[in-house]
Amino acid sequence: MRKLPPHRICQLLFLALFLVLFLMTEYRGSDRIVAAVNGFFRADPLTAVTTMLATKSFVPLLLPGLLVLFFSLFLGRFFCGWLCPLGTLLDLVTKRVGKSVAPLTIHRSVKYWLLLPLLAASLFGLNLAGLLDPIAILLRGLTFALHPLLGNTLRGGWRGLYGIMGESRDLIAPAYRLVNDYLLPFREALYPLAFASLLLLGLVILLERAGERTWCRTLCPLGTLLGIAARFSPLVRTPDAPCSACRRCAHVCPSGFDRQLMQKEECLDCMACVAACPSGKVRFSFGLLREEGLLMERRVLLGGLLSGFFLARLFRFRDPAAQARLLRPPGVRDEGEFLQKCVRCGECMKVCLRSALYPAIGRAGLEGLYTPELIPRLGYCEYNCTLCGQVCPTGAIPDLPAEEKKREVIGKAVFDKNHCLPFARRIDCIVCEEHCPIPQKAIRSETVVMTGFDGEKRSVKAPYVVEELCNGCGICENVCPLEGRAGIEVFAVKTRTPLAAEPAAGGPAPATDAPYGG
Amino acid sequence: MRRRSFLMLAGLSSLFWSSMLRELFAAQGPTVVVAEGTDHDRITRSAVNALGGMKRFVKPGNTVVVKPNMGWDRTPELAANTNPLVVAAIVDECLRAGAKKVKVFDRTCNDQRRCYKSSGIEAALKGMKGVEVKHPEEERFKKVSLGGKVLKECELYDEALSADVFINVPVLKHHGLSRLTIGMKNIMGILGGKRGSIHKHLDVALADINSVFKTHLTVVDATRILTAHGPQGGDIRDVKLLNKVLASTDIVAVDAVATTLFGLKPEDIAVTVEAHRRGLGEIRPERMKIVRI
Repeated sequence: MRKLPPHRICQLLFLALFLVLFLMTEYRGSDRIVAAVNGFFRADPLTAVTTMLATKSFVPLLLPGLLVLFFSLFLGRFFCGWLCPLGTLLDLVTKRVGKSVAPLTIHRSVKYWLLLPLLAASLFGLNLAGLLDPIAILLRGLTFALHPLLGNTLRGGWRGLYGIMGESRDLIAPAYRLVNDYLLPFREALYPLAFASLLLLGLVILLERAGERTWCRTLCPLGTLLGIAARFSPLVRTPDAPCSACRRCAHVCPSGFDRQLMQKEECLDCMACVAACPSGKVRFSFGLLREEGLLMERRVLLGGLLSGFFLARLFRFRDPAAQARLLRPPGVRDEGEFLQKCVRCGECMKVCLRSALYPAIGRAGLEGLYTPELIPRLGYCEYNCTLCGQVCPTGAIPDLPAEEKKREVIGKAVFDKNHCLPFARRIDCIVCEEHCPIPQKAIRSETVVMTGFDGEKRSVKAPYVVEELCNGCGICENVCPLEGRAGIEVFAVKTRTPLAAEPAAGGPAPATDAPYGG
Repeated sequence: MRRRSFLMLAGLSSLFWSSMLRELFAAQGPTVVVAEGTDHDRITRSAVNALGGMKRFVKPGNTVVVKPNMGWDRTPELAANTNPLVVAAIVDECLRAGAKKVKVFDRTCNDQRRCYKSSGIEAALKGMKGVEVKHPEEERFKKVSLGGKVLKECELYDEALSADVFINVPVLKHHGLSRLTIGMKNIMGILGGKRGSIHKHLDVALADINSVFKTHLTVVDATRILTAHGPQGGDIRDVKLLNKVLASTDIVAVDAVATTLFGLKPEDIAVTVEAHRRGLGEIRPERMKIVRI
């Protein structure tokens, strides 16, 4: 077997790490997640730069990203050639995708027209970087499309087996358990924008038909940012142009030599040219900076920045009816601040225990595309869980201890008396009250004697919400037995002051023994 | 002389017969054992032994389903789930009686994994041979024809249906709608489909289900009881330490006696009343043999 070059080994290791962390970004029996894929986002320079521009503050969580950018000033685009999981994926599939006869040439300015509006928009408060960030693209494709697909397919097969084998299926259950527990998502969630996420990932892969690493070279905003930093790097390749008689290095170069000169902002540091040169002439070393060509035209710079400004300011329309039901993860108090910090990576949605979080499509306006919103009818916020705050790479969802998170207000529950059974049909229910996790119960009931619609006099328990105690978790709306629209719904509130802390227990403590282990 | 001794004999034997007759009537009612003590493992075993021991219910080679209450993401001190020591004791007794397999599960209300962990039951049963603590799977709920008053049919878990022995191990606690939830309501843990839709006629629905699905042994965990804000509570101030475990083969009778521990009368709980009306068990404490140990 051909010996793998060092950069390939490193690439494969990081891709494996990414996939392992992806599978581990899940509730695994402990309240705190040990390791999550958000590590990749925190080391992502694009995430770091855009978030800090948007919040106009230093975000300590994202320091690794700034460090990567800093090192790129010296080493060039080593991230692209050695670390980026999407880049590795492209390298692995590029031969299978094939090359089209007529190569698609993307103008060299296009990548600046993508990066600059993103940066400018962030400066003006709108953080859209996650939409085109390569790690986010890969993560969303996996989270929303491929992983659920794998889960649904295998689980569907497992279910079908029961129809055939019945209880004897238990014989092979241990094998299935292993696959299910480690490879498949625990819940079966169907995500909106699943197809779109897969499509975007697919398009990036399909671009390989135009040449190796076309996305990385001509479009990727993260790569472009690192490329700008690479311009300052003292790491130079000699000679800077392929020898006219041979040109082998140009052949093997994944970022391509579409011009005579090697473009420093496109070089991925893979050093394939070093290995390929038959006469061993190619060297990478630290030297003096050479005179380089124009990075971008002035109109591209100005136009890009201006477009970003317009992007940030012109997509602000929000439909008020939809706004009333826009619920954010617990701990998110201010919508504006949230939009600045959320990089739309999709991790919170992946890790949410009860599949409560989904990418917003229209409810948060175009500016909120792919940001997480809580849809109670589909999933509620589990009372003791703090996973979303733990995995958020930028702290858009704060990482709060459980006792604080329980008091964060997501919204407030309101009864729809036109539908709720005790009011609308004069029959008993209060399943919502049963499931309310607030220890003092934010839903209570009063016994009302009423004449049912059948003419029988009976006492019915009529529920009501104690607003000061409700944290808007949504379990009430989730479990309401009504079909379609629930009899109780959680509405968004502007001021999300946390619930009051529990008053200290008055009187003697009840006789409790030591907590049982386990 | 012989007449006198005859009269003495007749007089003494009448006393004997009257107490025998009393015994006869009392033996016709169900036995409910109320065991008390701070060693929760020990009192659980004593309660079962006072009924004749687990071997009365579990024969060697049997598959047993032990159905505790572990539907909520709460730790044991909060009394929303069955005490893990009680569950472990029951499971161990089943194994000692020769059970081949003991399956423990519940269809939870909160996240399945969190409930199994927080309740402490999964951990308490870890490592026990022949014991399967598993999550219910959607496809294994079977349609069961009930022909009941309000429920014509319902879905029940196949492993509970096919088990040789079904042991119901509820925890005694407050419930907003039914006032208390004990053995009769704990059966909802093996119920499939949309469970929330039976609450509009909960007492009748539960009687329908329990008429068809028989519990062999009910052990009520009253070591800690949730006195308010049930069925999941969350406030330690609502928990009362009672240190009692009740057991009976009559699910209605044990529910009735458990009710009295709350200071209520058995007739206060509609679920129990309806069950008694349908002949599922005895509700009057005076008709039962209550053994306190």
